[in-house]
Amino acid sequence: MKQIVRKVFKTPGLSSAFFMVALFIVAGIINPAFLSLDNLQLCINGSVMYMLLAIGIAFVLMTGEIDVSIGSVLGLSAAFMATCVRDGVSLWIAIPCTLAIGAVAGLLNGYGVAKLHVSSIIMTLGTMGILRGTVYIYTQGKWVENLPDYFKRYTQASVFGFVNVFLLVTIIITLGIHFYMSKTKKGRYLAAIGDNINGANLIGIPVARTQIFAFVLSGIFASLAGIIFVSKVGFVPPTAGSGYEMKAIAACVIGGISLSGGVGTVIGAFFGAIIMSSIGRILVFLKFPSEWDNTITGILLIVIVVADSLFRRHSAEKARKERLSARTLNEEREA
Amino acid sequence: MRKLLATTLATAMILSAFAGCSSGSTTSTASAAGSTAAPASAAGTVKKDAKDINVVFIPKLSGNAFFESANVGAQDMAKKVGFSCKYDGNPQASVANQVQIINSAVTQGADAVAISAVDPNGLNESLKAAKAAGVKVVCWDSDVNNQYRSLHVAQGTPEQLGQMLVDMAAMQMTDAQKKNATFVFHYSSATVADQNSWVVAARAYVKTKYPGWKEVSQPYYSEQDAEKAISVGESVLKANKGITAVICPDSTALPGQAQAAKNLGMSGKVIITGFATPSSMKNFCLDGTVPKFGLWDCKIQGAMGAYLGYWLAAGNTFKVGDDIDIPDVGKVKVQPNTVLDPKAYTADDSGVVVLPERVIFDKDNVGKYNF
Amino acid sequence: MDKIRKIFRWETALVGILVAQILIFGLINPRFLKINVLLGSVNDYISICIIALFVTFVIITGGMDIQAGSIVGLTSIVMGLLWKVGGMNIWATIPIVLLVGALCGAFSGFLIAYTGVQAMVVTLGGMFLFSGLAVVISNAAVSSAFQGISGFPAEFVQLANGKSFGIPNPFIIFIVLIIFAYLLLHKTKYGRKIFLVGVNTNAAQYAGINTKLVIMSTYILSGMGAAIAGIVLTSYLGSSRADFGAELTLPIVTAVVLGGTIITGGKGGVIGTALASLVIGILKFGLQMVGFSTQYLDIPVGILLIVAVAIRSVSATGGLKFPKFMKSKGQRQKMAGSAK
Repeated sequence: MKQIVRKVFKTPGLSSAFFMVALFIVAGIINPAFLSLDNLQLCINGSVMYMLLAIGIAFVLMTGEIDVSIGSVLGLSAAFMATCVRDGVSLWIAIPCTLAIGAVAGLLNGYGVAKLHVSSIIMTLGTMGILRGTVYIYTQGKWVENLPDYFKRYTQASVFGFVNVFLLVTIIITLGIHFYMSKTKKGRYLAAIGDNINGANLIGIPVARTQIFAFVLSGIFASLAGIIFVSKVGFVPPTAGSGYEMKAIAACVIGGISLSGGVGTVIGAFFGAIIMSSIGRILVFLKFPSEWDNTITGILLIVIVVADSLFRRHSAEKARKERLSARTLNEEREA
Repeated sequence: MRKLLATTLATAMILSAFAGCSSGSTTSTASAAGSTAAPASAAGTVKKDAKDINVVFIPKLSGNAFFESANVGAQDMAKKVGFSCKYDGNPQASVANQVQIINSAVTQGADAVAISAVDPNGLNESLKAAKAAGVKVVCWDSDVNNQYRSLHVAQGTPEQLGQMLVDMAAMQMTDAQKKNATFVFHYSSATVADQNSWVVAARAYVKTKYPGWKEVSQPYYSEQDAEKAISVGESVLKANKGITAVICPDSTALPGQAQAAKNLGMSGKVIITGFATPSSMKNFCLDGTVPKFGLWDCKIQGAMGAYLGYWLAAGNTFKVGDDIDIPDVGKVKVQPNTVLDPKAYTADDSGVVVLPERVIFDKDNVGKYNF
Repeated sequence: MDKIRKIFRWETALVGILVAQILIFGLINPRFLKINVLLGSVNDYISICIIALFVTFVIITGGMDIQAGSIVGLTSIVMGLLWKVGGMNIWATIPIVLLVGALCGAFSGFLIAYTGVQAMVVTLGGMFLFSGLAVVISNAAVSSAFQGISGFPAEFVQLANGKSFGIPNPFIIFIVLIIFAYLLLHKTKYGRKIFLVGVNTNAAQYAGINTKLVIMSTYILSGMGAAIAGIVLTSYLGSSRADFGAELTLPIVTAVVLGGTIITGGKGGVIGTALASLVIGILKFGLQMVGFSTQYLDIPVGILLIVAVAIRSVSATGGLKFPKFMKSKGQRQKMAGSAK
């Protein structure tokens, strides 16, 4: 058992998968109805939006920055997309335009952080406010509602009868990005910048360009999540997306991505997003009075993150001790 | 280059300030700057002209379909009668935010405020100050402590609304179901005053009229977040298999729960009802997911609130028992506060105006409303 | 010496922005210039100001605290319950409530300092936990969380609504706290330790400073700051509700970073934070006074934030810096070639 646990924690990103399984099992023990196949399917399919948000922000977190504007980008994209769908604009036009919104927001953030050297939290706090206000101006404060059914049905579409299309695409994207970020040269730039920005500068990595790239990706993924929001929820209030950035950041941290950058994989973010998105559903199944929702969410979050950190520390300590004893053993032998 | 950038951005900021002034309201900055503080027209001797009167219309929160519709009603009324009505709400429903808006309205020289209160008592101090400054205070949808406001436009007592929720569900049940139905509530949160009061009243009504019914779980909260309403909605249906009815007295929870039922293919197999705006529920009503749901005409409610604020600021006075004539609505009677709460504060100049009716929407009439 | 000069330059810039705001808004709406209007408006955002003062401590050590808003609600409901259900004298509840705030801060601070978990996530969990506890406690003790507790004794309500020497009481409390925080941070050894821990935690550790205790203590301070804000808010609104402070999280961080504190730690100041929170508050109030509707206020605040910090960092680094590789294509190719 210990061996398995240790191996799981060593492999990048799988520790959050471990927590996810543990969480589901605990929920299942308390209420077996949770573990029914179609409910688990619902849980995972329902996390697609958060997955996309988490993957997007993972880029930025890897470079050691932060992006709290993704919630507002989601809101603006969702409002725009929903308006297009409601007014019958062709999807071939609507989707690229919506993604462009995210890209522009990302460019703005990236320019501020990389060229004007504004701290990323300030820059994205600012754009968060600006974009949120823009949503109000764009929607005049009203909901975008009564969307045609055909668009809402996309969330139900499945391949082979049980694999949700959106989920499949997200899994492919995640694997693709993981490969890109860990194996390709350009992909590794992100982690390099997050780990040591000056060092990266010195060895020739185009820091500013990569930072802007990370923010643009974060914006595009947030827009993508906004499109999923429209399809899944079916109506868009101007407040859509508020607070989602915190959940996405928490998902990434649970997934092993460090806020100081350079560490972690998108696979971890993937599972972390499932955890964050499922907490709400699990609470319904636990039959606790709903007033306990926030308390339990807080406790869960803290327990998972602390446990993860302690495990990591423990295995790092152990590894260090082994190296130390191996060295002294060698020295003794040589003496 | 750097200086140019800085000055451009600074100018953009200042310009955006002016842009914001003309967006979304008919207030003109000239009137705010030019008007001297209106003295309290105590005995109603000075009747002010409509176009000089400035009413600030304060919802619980902005960006919510219900309150936006009420604002539409208020703005239409303002345009018709000729007074200016400014819509000022914070995207987050919080007492501190509302107090700040009230204080700011008073300092800006508003003549009246029309409020839907987040908390019945938290606004007391600021309303006291408003009254002292001569600002007229009316409430709509959610009342405050009766001492600090002149009139309240009520949609009904909590008992009436709780009953309505239960009756709408019962209307859709077969006789067998009526005997031993299972139900749950799904709304915003434990801290929202009015929704919780309706739920408490609904429970009491169920105990007396339908004793066989069982509330199988504590209420579910989705905190007015659209996405949460869907995932909580789906989990509610999954965790409580075979449930007869889900009652959602919240304008975000109801469409979310309906969409969740559709996603699970349970349209029509479970009774979903509650309060929400007809425009957000139109499709669900027509396709049978939510055949009946209710609300009251919040456009009229908003219009009445704004009008009464203007009417008081114009120097009119009333006594409990009087009739007030509201354009396009008709004569409304001012009733004593005890109509809503037997223990309420009573005074001759503090009363309640009850909305003529609440509406149950179904597929025949849902298309007729545009809010 | 240079560092001090730089900090003072930023604070004077903030003062300049503040004065400019007052003048511009005063020009558009003369009512704005009335001193009691200005000071009275501070009452409405005093919570942000007070809490931001102490969150500055946290951020200087390189941490982050987003749970302070929820502690406000928790302390408010504890206060109300102790008074109403426990029958305690309202003034006697104040030290207990401060203790509650300190405990909340200590809880998160302990986890952050001693287990090495990311501060943002622990305080995010803390945010959910404390706001949830507030609702649970109020539901358990009083029949309903939605009605709130009110009817506090008049002298207590006057605490935040009254004036002393013509100045609103909360503003006086704010000034007192500014002085306290300033002395604590800039004039004591403890304050210097905070800076050192923020600049280089390892070096501070090796220099013999108990970094873990220092970090934990900053969270205790911000928890107590939140408790003070909870007390003032409860008095100001005359009502005790579990959901007070929920909306304060990001405005607090905005005020701290606008005040010149660097998010990675090691640099910052109390005066800057105080000025920045006033700047933001007056900006919002002023824009309302000239006719802006509240729901659009995020835009100018966002622009102000970006512009102010952009100007500062651009001037600090001596003009827009282009990395060497971007200067000329030839040089870039040369560097790219050698990096391979």
